[in-house]
Amino acid sequence: MIRMLLRVLGHEYARPVRRTVALMTTTAVAEGLSYALLVPVLRALFGSTPAGARPWLVAFGTAVAVYAALRYRSDLSGFRVATALLRGMYHRLGDHLARLPLGWYGAARVGEVSVLAGRGVLESMSVIVHLLAPFLSACVTPLTIVAVMLAYNGPLGLAALVAAPVVAAVQVWTGRSMAADDEERHERDHEAAGRVIEYLQAQPVLRAGGRTDERFRLLDDALREVQRASRRTVLSALPGTLGLTLAVQAVFTALLVLGSYLALGGTVGVAEVLTILVLAARCADPLLSLSSIGGKLRGARSVLARLDAVLRTEPLPEAPEPVQPVRHDLEFASAVFRHGDRAVIDGVSLSVPEGQRLAVVGPSGAGKSTLLQLLARFHDVDGGAVRLGGVDVREIGTETLMARIAMVFQDVYLFDGTIEENVRLGRPGATDAEVRAAAAAARLDEVIERLPGGWAANVGEGGALLSGGERQRVSIARALLKDAPVVLLDEVTSALDPVNEAAVHQGIERLMAGRTVVMVAHRLRTVRRADRIVFLDGGRIVEEGGHDELLRRGGRYAEFWNLSLTPAARP
Amino acid sequence: MWSFAAVVLLQVIGALAGLAPLLAVVELGRVLLSPGPVDHGRVWTVVVAGAAGLLVRLLFTAASSGIGHLVDGQVQLALRRRLAARLGRVPIGWLSRRRTGELAKVVGDDVSAVHPFIAHAPGELVAAFVVPLVSLVYLFTVDWRLTLITLAPVVLAVALVPLMMTPARLREQKEFDAGMGRISNAAVEFAQGIAVVKAFGGAGRAHRRFRTAADEFTDTFLRWVRGMAPIAAGMQLALSPPFVLLVVLVGGAALITNGAMEPAGLLPFLLLGLGLTAPVAALGHGFDDLQAARRAVGRIGDVLAVQPLPEPAHPVAPQGHRVELRGVRFGYEGGHEVLRGIDLVLEPGTVTAVVGPSGSGKSTLVQLLPRFFDPTHGSVVLGGADLREIGGRELYRTVSFVFQDVRLLRASVADNIALAVPHAGHDDVVRAARLADIHDRILELPRGYASVIGEDAGLSGGEAQRIAIARALLADAPVLVLDEATAFADPQTEQAVRRALAALAGDRTVLVIAHRLETIADADTVVMLENGAVVERGAPAELLARDGRFAAFWQAHRSAVAGESDAPRGDEPR
Repeated sequence: MIRMLLRVLGHEYARPVRRTVALMTTTAVAEGLSYALLVPVLRALFGSTPAGARPWLVAFGTAVAVYAALRYRSDLSGFRVATALLRGMYHRLGDHLARLPLGWYGAARVGEVSVLAGRGVLESMSVIVHLLAPFLSACVTPLTIVAVMLAYNGPLGLAALVAAPVVAAVQVWTGRSMAADDEERHERDHEAAGRVIEYLQAQPVLRAGGRTDERFRLLDDALREVQRASRRTVLSALPGTLGLTLAVQAVFTALLVLGSYLALGGTVGVAEVLTILVLAARCADPLLSLSSIGGKLRGARSVLARLDAVLRTEPLPEAPEPVQPVRHDLEFASAVFRHGDRAVIDGVSLSVPEGQRLAVVGPSGAGKSTLLQLLARFHDVDGGAVRLGGVDVREIGTETLMARIAMVFQDVYLFDGTIEENVRLGRPGATDAEVRAAAAAARLDEVIERLPGGWAANVGEGGALLSGGERQRVSIARALLKDAPVVLLDEVTSALDPVNEAAVHQGIERLMAGRTVVMVAHRLRTVRRADRIVFLDGGRIVEEGGHDELLRRGGRYAEFWNLSLTPAARP
Repeated sequence: MWSFAAVVLLQVIGALAGLAPLLAVVELGRVLLSPGPVDHGRVWTVVVAGAAGLLVRLLFTAASSGIGHLVDGQVQLALRRRLAARLGRVPIGWLSRRRTGELAKVVGDDVSAVHPFIAHAPGELVAAFVVPLVSLVYLFTVDWRLTLITLAPVVLAVALVPLMMTPARLREQKEFDAGMGRISNAAVEFAQGIAVVKAFGGAGRAHRRFRTAADEFTDTFLRWVRGMAPIAAGMQLALSPPFVLLVVLVGGAALITNGAMEPAGLLPFLLLGLGLTAPVAALGHGFDDLQAARRAVGRIGDVLAVQPLPEPAHPVAPQGHRVELRGVRFGYEGGHEVLRGIDLVLEPGTVTAVVGPSGSGKSTLVQLLPRFFDPTHGSVVLGGADLREIGGRELYRTVSFVFQDVRLLRASVADNIALAVPHAGHDDVVRAARLADIHDRILELPRGYASVIGEDAGLSGGEAQRIAIARALLADAPVLVLDEATAFADPQTEQAVRRALAALAGDRTVLVIAHRLETIADADTVVMLENGAVVERGAPAELLARDGRFAAFWQAHRSAVAGESDAPRGDEPR
């Protein structure tokens, strides 16, 4: 656990964490040792000269004072370390996330990452503050007390010592057997959450079928599975808790019996026996709390494991000596990219001379967007190469590569801020005049005029306050401002109504002028004017050539084209 | 309910039985320390009683915890089912304005967060108070002076509580919560905007924002900790066993040396005194969880309190499927009206196309037909009956719709197509799939119509859209509402939509939000919507001839499409 914590944190935090752990351990030992002084105190009080207890009481008081000082320091140190860790963890996670390839960020990842980076970090770091000290003290103090007992009375001490391996074994065994159940439970929860989302999103259709009156089977099954998994967890946790309690109580009973026997036999003083029984009672509580602390630790551990998994994901390797490409032609050389065992891009070779436009067409799922993503190095190819200006994109530094490419996607994400801020992102150093010019070229100026607040209008989280077409115009303005030699367009106009489409097209036209362009589109009309068209299916190039040439050939492209031209049928 | 009582009762009995071994030690001390010969029989009785107490405690607490968790599981399932049932009846409009992720969190995490309330709190809290109370009464009977002394650490700890509630502390707590919120937002933005961040290179603004939020949060956290930590640590110290023992021993030693108390009287305090701190500790520990649980229960209550659209007491069956909108007004929030007095008649056997600029209220208008919302004024009448008087089931059987966002369930392809008609025969499903031009693709899937979407097979956007079309075709409702999606993913799908429209027409009442000029031209009636009101209506040719708003809109459309290419009707731009 600590080892994983340290790995997740990175080594600069190893020292303070170790120091805190050491401090907490020392505190727990001090607590146990201070109890050693109870024996002479009680011996005196229970004996004939109770006044003889005073010096021992003073000694015990001193020991408690030492313990108090240690405890106070270790508590504060725990808080301090946790804060430092929190900061370090956030930074480390942030830095790492920024370095991970874009291809890593799927739709499911976004949700996971935001939860992990928000609550997850805090939860895992609170382990140090809230769980570590009780856990250490529950383990170490009883052990120290047993050592004290051993020193005072061999047989009773030995009897108590028997508990140690038993408790340890039960703890380890419970931990192991619970891990699988926890995992399963996590999975069931996840599954049920998915079903709830599905159920909510499918409400209109479900209601149409009258299917929400009865329980919806898919959801209800998932909910029942959650309950079953949680019951299994409870039942499998029970032996552990019972075992622990039984072990602790059996030993206590043994001490009670043995102590009584020894006291009756007169071999041991009554005061010793009673003190040892008081100490034994002192051991029992922390030991019994181990099972609940263990459960909480396991919870924190699973968050930690997920953090660890993210942090151990390797970013794409950076070239040690980045090359600056001088030209801006593009080339795929037998590029292969796999997703699992499926080849999404299966040996594509093509080249786009500088300043030319390539259109990529094909059925959905053909790998069109992936082609663009390989150019921008969201992923690295599994075979072959992708080159910009004759240089493998893996040899170009990320910053340089990104500086050469402007991308416009179908879904535009805007940051919660003003329109101007979002446009400026294209080139933070641009003058106001340049920003205005880019906005005008993207026909964003019409939008800005309409909005209350104009340039300073807030776009909302993710750009939610703008319509799809308006967001698209922002992203085009951004790309125009960036003024990169290579432009990648992914289904830019397919989700727009004709009025917005016209505006966006004008912007796009200006964006494409004089640049090397690769565009993915299914509105074939927008494809016509490309210098060359590639028809992609199943990750391979099926046809390529100019528009007229492909139409004459009468193959897949021609079929697609004709489909899109068929006029609306009337009954 | 009895199971709750059982959980509490078992827990209390178990916890009280846990006192037996401690009392046994006390008794043992009394017997052994008493002057004169030791009564062996009594010693062994005491030992047996102590051991028996332990056994009872083991059995009862285990039973209590086991039952508690099982009840918890049942309660959670029941709660989730209630939530699901309610969510299945709330207005669709309410759903559409909420993030599904948040609602899923209510059904999932929030219900789970109730766990301590049910499984732990009743038993453990009661035990945490009953046991110390019993101990306290017992200790008073032993020696009231030493009892008061034993209580000193508890009083000390409680005295520190107000220090945690000072305005400064409370403000820090608030800042802490706000900081947590900011960091979550920054994390979401960071993860979602990562593509933009990377594409535009540089240090990355979102990254910086996340870092700033994280730094601010840790600063707040540090301030909070700095204020809180010494008090918390002080409290912990006051309640710590060595300190309590020290207090008891000092007090006890004073009483014993003065001859005010029997030495044996000290033992119960050493053994039971520590237990007196339990309630304070329990409050501290359980408090956070309980707070979280309370907030979760609040959110669950909010969802359960949403009123479903009222169902008619005496449902009326619509006669025919003529649709009329009479003086319909609607606003999502008070004040701002999206629809401002719409009168519209949709005749069976005709296609009505709604056109208009974005934000004109088109989507809202068509969503009133399947009763996603009720109009704030006026009424929507189907076959002579107000929608509000038609039973939900009847309504959905009469009105079917294809909207832009297609949702497929992780279920078999056949189930997905038959979602609205659960008892449809396989042949009907196949016929619908053929019409929607998706049949061949389905046969290519590993298990054909039995393939589970998302497990056996992933479908592309266009394919999913065609499944949705097949769904509507199978539903075969006399009134069809269609948002002619602007984002149909490929030409094949666009073609399928057009074919479906053609196949569906006939005697149906069709209302379509039209985006394509072809659809508009082929409609029987065009309704031009602007700013929530109908500005023009009539046959498309007639409206064009009138040369008004629609004609202008049409021209703008045409040049928009033509501007980039040759439109199908062939005016070559360049």
